[in-house]
Amino acid sequence: MAASGLTSQSRAASLHSGTNRPAAIGAKNMISWRPSCEVQLTQFACESVAPDLRLSWVGALACPPLTNSLRLAHGSTPKSLSLSIKPASLRVSSFRFPHPGSWFEALRAPLGGHAAVGDPRSLDRPAGATKTRISPPPHVIKLEERLFYVLQPALESVLGDASLAMPFRPFPYQLDGVAFLYPRAAAILADEMGLGKTMQAITAVRLLLRSGELGRVLFVCPKPLVSNWQREFAAWAPEIPIAVVEGEPAKRRWLWQQTDTPVKFANYELVQRDRELTAELGLEFDLVVLDEAQRIKNRSNTTSQAVRALKRKRSWALTGTPVENSSQDLVGIFEFLAPGHLCDTMKPRGMGRAAAEFVLRRTKEKVLSDLPPKVVRDAEVELGSQQRASYQLAEKEGVLRLTELGDSITIQHVFELILRLKQICNFDPASGESSKLERLVADLDEVAASGRKAIVFSQWVGTLETLSDRLRHLRPLVYHGQVKPQHREAVLEQFRQEQDRSVLLLSYGAGGVGLNLQIASYVFLFDRWWNPAVEDQAINRAHRIGAAGPVTVTRFLTAHTIEERIDQILREKREVFDAIFSDVEPQANLGLTQHEIFGLFQLRCPSGPVALPASVPTSGEASVMPAQ
Amino acid sequence: MTDGESAPTDAIGFLTVVEHDEQGLIGAYLILNSSGRPLEFHCTAPVKPTRTQQILFGPTLDSYLIGEQIGQTLLASASAQPLALCTDVERGLLVREYTTLPLALVIPPAAPSSPEAVAPADQTWRMDVSHGSSTPLSVFEVGRNRLAVPGGRTEDQELLAARLQGVLALDLCEPFGRIRDAIAEANHSVRT
Repeated sequence: MAASGLTSQSRAASLHSGTNRPAAIGAKNMISWRPSCEVQLTQFACESVAPDLRLSWVGALACPPLTNSLRLAHGSTPKSLSLSIKPASLRVSSFRFPHPGSWFEALRAPLGGHAAVGDPRSLDRPAGATKTRISPPPHVIKLEERLFYVLQPALESVLGDASLAMPFRPFPYQLDGVAFLYPRAAAILADEMGLGKTMQAITAVRLLLRSGELGRVLFVCPKPLVSNWQREFAAWAPEIPIAVVEGEPAKRRWLWQQTDTPVKFANYELVQRDRELTAELGLEFDLVVLDEAQRIKNRSNTTSQAVRALKRKRSWALTGTPVENSSQDLVGIFEFLAPGHLCDTMKPRGMGRAAAEFVLRRTKEKVLSDLPPKVVRDAEVELGSQQRASYQLAEKEGVLRLTELGDSITIQHVFELILRLKQICNFDPASGESSKLERLVADLDEVAASGRKAIVFSQWVGTLETLSDRLRHLRPLVYHGQVKPQHREAVLEQFRQEQDRSVLLLSYGAGGVGLNLQIASYVFLFDRWWNPAVEDQAINRAHRIGAAGPVTVTRFLTAHTIEERIDQILREKREVFDAIFSDVEPQANLGLTQHEIFGLFQLRCPSGPVALPASVPTSGEASVMPAQ
Repeated sequence: MTDGESAPTDAIGFLTVVEHDEQGLIGAYLILNSSGRPLEFHCTAPVKPTRTQQILFGPTLDSYLIGEQIGQTLLASASAQPLALCTDVERGLLVREYTTLPLALVIPPAAPSSPEAVAPADQTWRMDVSHGSSTPLSVFEVGRNRLAVPGGRTEDQELLAARLQGVLALDLCEPFGRIRDAIAEANHSVRT
């Protein structure tokens, strides 16, 4: 500051307002003593001031000028320098942000107040710990919008509000997920199953609704999971009114038009069925969230088209398996999120880079140090003699038939043989012999004896029914697509609650997604699915947050059979996934080619690439492959 | 983004001045509702006093720049009228001369209790009496927050204690971190 640099020997500013008055100005008046628009500099001397006072600006100004040093020759004027101070004009940038919606304002009054310090609901991290802040994503260009996100409070503070009570304290990685979703117009939350994608999506929607950024949200999910979402919403956002669009056409029309429920749910089939209706009504959503978004990976299917036709401002996709078979799956999902951002010709690593800004993917190993371990063991069993004979015969005849087809052979013909052989690997159709079953029975007896619970997956209803019969001493419960929807929840409740119901037989399709079965300590994959992602989904019904102890996964594999060859393909698919979602370099050309599929039987492929049909059989109940 | 229809009655204003080596002083004013959500944000272009101003305003320069120029301008820019104002720099208390709202200095939890040491951002040593804080600060607590007002403004203490009842659980230091992030974001945006 200027004051500290001035002494009585320096030039002091004499501030004029008509007359010279510096000597009359005391320190007390200085705060309101401002320079006028014009000043003159005059030299003062201050010999009589004590040395300590000379150091200060105040002291300098407090000194009367020595008049003899200012005496001027008659008729002459002192030299002066005029400085003008322009009135400052300060530019201010102003930003104003949206207020919460009216329905939320109505909620606030009765719920007002905050969690007190020390309240167990308080989410504050310990002092010094990093808090979870929302960062604007790169695609948000407008400074006003970027600042809106930058200026949001830490999530721990927001969620500590008493009116935002949560049933459980979220994990830090879950708050990171909420902060990821919150500002994004297009996003994939691709956390591994069991990490709480549902809770993260609900919380992000809840905060956006309360901040007034959203007013109309549509969740689209598989039909069996609608009730699960309702339960989760009741737990994580109990104050948010929700509605499920269902029922007769007139009722659905009415539900679609309802404006007093900011969140609506619809299943994929219904969205497809009501495509024209939603268009006719001119519905536009602030946000559409797709659960199990791998359902739209095939761009040409009608479900994908119907979902993409929904008018919306934001698009989020939830899936633990954004890539089930090939990188084209991800392209399909991006057609919903950001059409054209990815294309089929991209290489996996390039696609990974292009998608990175939109995708948040965490694995349990990365974020859950306290999740019980998952022990995976491959149970390789040899076919029994009768089973082996049936297998060899079927393979020999099947391959012969395929060979005879010559150039008219199709991929469908190959899949039919694969399915036939896989079924024989489970049970010999002639004798009923099953090496897998023998091993399974032994294991399940042990599970039951130890008071634990197990779930068993198969892709066929027929296999599950056979297992149910052969395991009847264990009174297994069965859950698959042919179980009536109204009975399904009761089956799951029995498994969870009744101590003597230790075995649950599940199909991959009906039981592979969305169910919380942490009570099970053991998972058996009686037969293998077509891609590892679906198998992971199945395994994670048990190995997820809330699991009380280690989960042991047993993957059955019959040696020297088609299962062994498929297993090799599954391993390669996993490498494709890693190539996109990690920095791992692809080891080779990992796409499944038609040549490789035909190669399962040492057959010559006609020509051209083909994708393995991941949607086959989509529900786990189909026993034939759809045409490709 | 749309403008808010009406200002809530439970808003709190957070005003600070950030000193940038090259650009000078940047004033910023954030208004939050009682849940800590942003309602308005205003920031000034950088202000750098000229040498002439430094000489001519002398010790009144801070009062002029921070109080009259920055503070008064920012407060006039806002459409929401908060219940109270907070600042995290001692010099920010100079704004009190230009507003009828009570203004408190928020003391970080880790800071020493001595009122003389509550201005970490102000590194200037003075040999005379500072104009902005010619009287010692009066420190008090509201909820989890330690606040201070100039000794001559003890009436503000009562007002603040009453008006901050709705935000007892909030950490009043935290919004200033957001303000600095926002200034950095705005600067980055201008450069790119």
